[in-house]
Amino acid sequence: MTATDPSRALPLDPSVAPPGTRNFRDAGGIPADRWHADQNGETLVPTHCCFCGVQCGMYLRVDRAGKVFGVEPRNHDINRMRLCPKGINAYQQVNHPDRLTSPLMRRNRDEEFRPVSWEEALDHTVAEIRRIQGEYGNDAFGLLGGASLYSEKTYLVGKFARVALKTKHVDYNGRLCMVSAAGANKLAFGIDRAGNPFSDILLTDCLLIAGSNVGECFPVMTQYLWGARDRGATLIVVDPRQTAIARTADVHVALKPGTDSAFFNAVLHVIVAEGLTDEAYLADRTTGWDEVKATVAQYPPSRSAPICGVPEEQIVQVARMFAGADRAMAWHARGVEHHSQGVENCLTIINLCVATGNIGKPGAGYGTITGQGNGQGGREHGQKSDLLPGGRSISNPEHRRQICEIWGIEESELPAAGTSMMEMVWQMQRAEIRGLIGICNNPFVSLPNYATVKEGYDTLQFHAQFDFFLSETAANAHVVFPVTVWAEDEGVMANAEARVVKHNKAQEPPAGVRTDTWVMCELAKRLGAGDKFAFPDSRAVFEELRIASAGTVNDYYGITYERLEETGGIAWPCPTTEHPGTPRLFEDGRTYHPDGRIHMQVVEWHPPMDPYSEEYPLSLTTGRTVAHFLSGNQTRRLGALVEQTPRPWVEVHPSHGFRNGDPVRVVTRRGSEVFPALVTEAIRPDTVFVPYHWPVPTAANALTIDALDPRSKIPEYKVCAARIEAAERVDEVPAPPTAPGRPAYPETQVSRTDPLPPTSPQGRGTAERS
Amino acid sequence: MTEPPQTAEPTTPEPEATAPVPEARAPQTPAAVRRRAVLAGTAVSVLLILAIVFGSRLLRDFDSALLPYAVATVFLAFGVAYRYTVWVSAPGARRLFRQGWRSFFSVANFRRAPTALPRMIATYLGFQKFLGARSHARWAAHQLLFWGCVLAALITFPLTWGWFTFTSNTGDGPGYEMRIWGIKVLGFNALNIIGWLMFHGLDIAAVLVIAGASYFLWRRMKDRGAVTGQRFAYDLIPLIALIVISVTGLLLTFSSIFLHGGGYEFLAILHMVSVVFTLIYIPFGKFFHIVQRPAAVGMQLFKYTSRRKDGAGEELQTCRRCHEPIDTPEYVENLRGTMQDLKLDFDAWAEYCPRCKRVLRGNAYLTHVKKGFK
Amino acid sequence: MMGRTIFIDPGRCIGCQACVSACRECDSHRGKSMIHLDYTDEGHSVASLPTVCMHCEDPVAPCAEVCPADAILVTADGVVQQADTTRCIGCANCVNACPFGVPKIDLQAKLQMKCNLCYDRTAYGLAPMCATVCPTGALFYGTLDELRAERPGVQVADSFTFGDVVVQTGVAMVVPADKVQWPVPGGLPVVEINGVDVSGANPNQGGGARQEGVR
Repeated sequence: MTATDPSRALPLDPSVAPPGTRNFRDAGGIPADRWHADQNGETLVPTHCCFCGVQCGMYLRVDRAGKVFGVEPRNHDINRMRLCPKGINAYQQVNHPDRLTSPLMRRNRDEEFRPVSWEEALDHTVAEIRRIQGEYGNDAFGLLGGASLYSEKTYLVGKFARVALKTKHVDYNGRLCMVSAAGANKLAFGIDRAGNPFSDILLTDCLLIAGSNVGECFPVMTQYLWGARDRGATLIVVDPRQTAIARTADVHVALKPGTDSAFFNAVLHVIVAEGLTDEAYLADRTTGWDEVKATVAQYPPSRSAPICGVPEEQIVQVARMFAGADRAMAWHARGVEHHSQGVENCLTIINLCVATGNIGKPGAGYGTITGQGNGQGGREHGQKSDLLPGGRSISNPEHRRQICEIWGIEESELPAAGTSMMEMVWQMQRAEIRGLIGICNNPFVSLPNYATVKEGYDTLQFHAQFDFFLSETAANAHVVFPVTVWAEDEGVMANAEARVVKHNKAQEPPAGVRTDTWVMCELAKRLGAGDKFAFPDSRAVFEELRIASAGTVNDYYGITYERLEETGGIAWPCPTTEHPGTPRLFEDGRTYHPDGRIHMQVVEWHPPMDPYSEEYPLSLTTGRTVAHFLSGNQTRRLGALVEQTPRPWVEVHPSHGFRNGDPVRVVTRRGSEVFPALVTEAIRPDTVFVPYHWPVPTAANALTIDALDPRSKIPEYKVCAARIEAAERVDEVPAPPTAPGRPAYPETQVSRTDPLPPTSPQGRGTAERS
Repeated sequence: MTEPPQTAEPTTPEPEATAPVPEARAPQTPAAVRRRAVLAGTAVSVLLILAIVFGSRLLRDFDSALLPYAVATVFLAFGVAYRYTVWVSAPGARRLFRQGWRSFFSVANFRRAPTALPRMIATYLGFQKFLGARSHARWAAHQLLFWGCVLAALITFPLTWGWFTFTSNTGDGPGYEMRIWGIKVLGFNALNIIGWLMFHGLDIAAVLVIAGASYFLWRRMKDRGAVTGQRFAYDLIPLIALIVISVTGLLLTFSSIFLHGGGYEFLAILHMVSVVFTLIYIPFGKFFHIVQRPAAVGMQLFKYTSRRKDGAGEELQTCRRCHEPIDTPEYVENLRGTMQDLKLDFDAWAEYCPRCKRVLRGNAYLTHVKKGFK
Repeated sequence: MMGRTIFIDPGRCIGCQACVSACRECDSHRGKSMIHLDYTDEGHSVASLPTVCMHCEDPVAPCAEVCPADAILVTADGVVQQADTTRCIGCANCVNACPFGVPKIDLQAKLQMKCNLCYDRTAYGLAPMCATVCPTGALFYGTLDELRAERPGVQVADSFTFGDVVVQTGVAMVVPADKVQWPVPGGLPVVEINGVDVSGANPNQGGGARQEGVR
């Protein structure tokens, strides 16, 4: 249709039109013919988005046949009708042709999967569990959960591991997400959640966003940032890349990856030096200030500026801006958390807020933006290796006793603390863990150092995976259980504000698909723990969760499904059914430590774990793009999102001499891959960026380092040493895996193999699509 | 069903809003256009009347019962000619009209691609392939409607004008002969299949039209895309009119065969009223697209021939910024001319592709208005 | 002239393309997105610009004026509708004449399509899909007063210069307070292409002096 037709064979209809004005691509690649707009008599089911920690409200449109067919904005007070491209396209997962609709099984990894009955899959799984545990002990079988599950299911994951499997090895993919913030929160405040609701952002005078590409990872939260600025607030963004929010920020601190604590220590240094601290507050409410003060005295801007690669004046400017504001607020995300000193990075930001007295007031406070939909709720109720429901510690005898009483088991039966997700993979490599069930996670894309992960999983004698699309990890398993998507079950999630919201069921699951709850209960029944898992539905689990959390810091007792439906969300702690919830913490000045004070922690900066050398002089940092979510198992199948961002790229500064689209090999000590270059001045010359949503051979996580923070055990995704070199051709993005005999729905994959990078990190412009 | 508040035609093509400054070549004041349109309408009407008189052998073959129909066709001829003249007087249409006919009359073009025009007519006017790209169901329904109407028009118009006659030597069948302008062209037996088809051609047409129009009516009740901006007078009246004509026509047959003419008088009047109304409506509403649609062939022929030019081969005008093809140089030239006629003096912009227009505007905004948030 | 309309502020845009996906969800053109999103500062920053139909008021709808088939109607409330399906002949005159680069064309269907301000939603009192979901308010639908209630003191401009021509539109853009009197530059005359200054090298455009005056 363009000018390339050979002139002799001019077609009868030789019309041309300029780029971007022709070739309509239909919604999500699902042909418009099949999405008739004659849906009179639809119902709107109020629910929330399945994706990030903002948890935007939305309506799912359900036709008269009871099938979800669209989305309608919902005026929920979290998002006020706004939605991001992921949220708008989320509904297309529900009746997607790639859905798994029957259990898949094989005896070993050389065989093809074959569809089997639920009975066969469940019986085989239980037989393998019994065999492995009988031969190698209970702890030889592990369980990995996920933070996109409803809280009820995350509670069940923890209980299933400890009560049915009786193993200590349980963890979840939140370990890859925001555990550093969790650790810092616990240390400083004795409670693990953001201090303020999003709406407080609108009241602040100075907003500091550290290590968060809000515009792409939490697009709908941007309205709060802009709302604050409309009312005169200043915006400081700390990020090695000039992201969409950094582009217009009052100050953009483009520091070198892995130097956050050096930077924030220096900022606090200036604040102390200029006498901008709130000494009365510090004296009244904190412990450890003197030690912190002494430490930051060692970090004058003249020392930190060269470490961070930013001008000294900028450090002073940030200090004056933040400390000089009436009400200041700091929010951070993975950018500061995904480090071998992730907990400490968070602590330096907490120190900054505390030293200026910006805690627990309207427009003044601190928060972490959780990445997964239930990133907050998923870590509260016991699927973390060291935690029991209600945020209880599994090492605390009193906590153990309480939970054993609720679960009706002997305390001796309750396993001890296990290990973190990455450590479990190392244990798999060493054959200490020989069997595994994975629920709602995709470590083949999301864990660092893919080679190690693959080896670990390949060493497993038995591996079962729960998912609704065949993820890269599930494609490597022995048994795959097809489970529901979020719209086919009800349950609660807690968003980044610790506001518990209820998701409603919009349609019946397709034939052959079961809820995760049902599968776990069936397995437990076959393992002989059926009496502890007599849960017909989410509501029954939630009732037990309420009781199990009663009286703890993470108190859900006052939250009921009915109250959630009436209110549109309640922030925990909520101890009684009359309690309004706690949107803002520390309003009375007391923390959740026994002494009621904030425990300030000393932080010394140290360089990242992967040392720079002549061979590897650059920093490789990884992150997300707006059109995709986490491991991409969901979003890489939605045509509109594939079309917006079909493939990963490497973002490089023009000083390296590449042109847009050139194949560039990124080499680290763990591997090398070729991406097309996106050449832009919006990144530091000493840093390159690769988004991580794609599997090998286009996986950023084949390059990243599996170094962990010693406290939170979060991997250091955000910085490793790398070099770049010119290459021949870019590596092609593989199609997402699907059940045997069924190709990935072709209409959605049309642009997947386009070789060019997007024009901007947010994707390709509408006129640049093939 | 939404009905937008009084929809106005685009202002410019209508006489009132045309630029007051007359062009050098063709005076384009609204009054002049109107005068010319009246002239054209009158001329065509007179021609039609003459054709009726002579075609019916000085009214010898004219069926006086069909007089109202014949009068309506004269009004139709006037209306169509009038509207057509007004339409092609607007700059956009006039330029394309000229280019289309120029391509049509070009001997060189004909030599190079003798089959192009017939193929285009078959594709765009006959089989309406482009409708299939919009929706297969709509294409099918439109084909039913289209062929039904064509069949009906081919039968009724000549009958009304007294150009066709069916006579029987025996006075009452079954042997009939069909004459055009008094000349016998066909003899047939009313009892065999050809005879049946000859007599029931209109019934077949009615069935086709009812099927097509009912689909469209149903769609206009259901489909939210169609319902948006739908207007009763513009979108629904034509469908209703077609269905009324077809149903009453069928009932006439039903009445004469099964009811021995029961209710025939009433049905005949109803049928006549609906037909007359529809004919007079054609120039003013949705049906005018029947008259306009051949412009698609003209447009296509123009683009086709300008791309086939000798030597030039595949040469297309490319965007001045990104060098992606926009269209043929002749087309862009024609569009710039149209824009100049309309005093849209940013016609130089036509040499940039839409994306580059947006990017350049975005750049200008960043440079001259604001770079950041405030 | 400004009633309820869309206000565009590229300074707030994060380029997420929620509007592009949302446009596909509109019932009147389900599956087909009419909005444009361009990254206008490629290689330098992540700046982006959403483009909806500006619904030109003076000169009224150039797209409709150049249409040879009278296919583009303007409703009394100033909304320039997309091409009437029965009339459009797919000539692309509107596509190439629109000063803002808005209309699209389906070449196979011989049909132009463009933003119609979500007529199916606004008729029911809902905001257009793009402005409803826009996470940042870069696309805002409402009256100027409603906009000012959310963003105190905001100023808007509804005219654009293209060479010598000033086009006044129904959709407005946010401008800084000190520039509200300006017609916003529309990009013509072109002063720079791909980083090369062409301001003196473009004989076709006579608006250079005017541009200076506007500045």
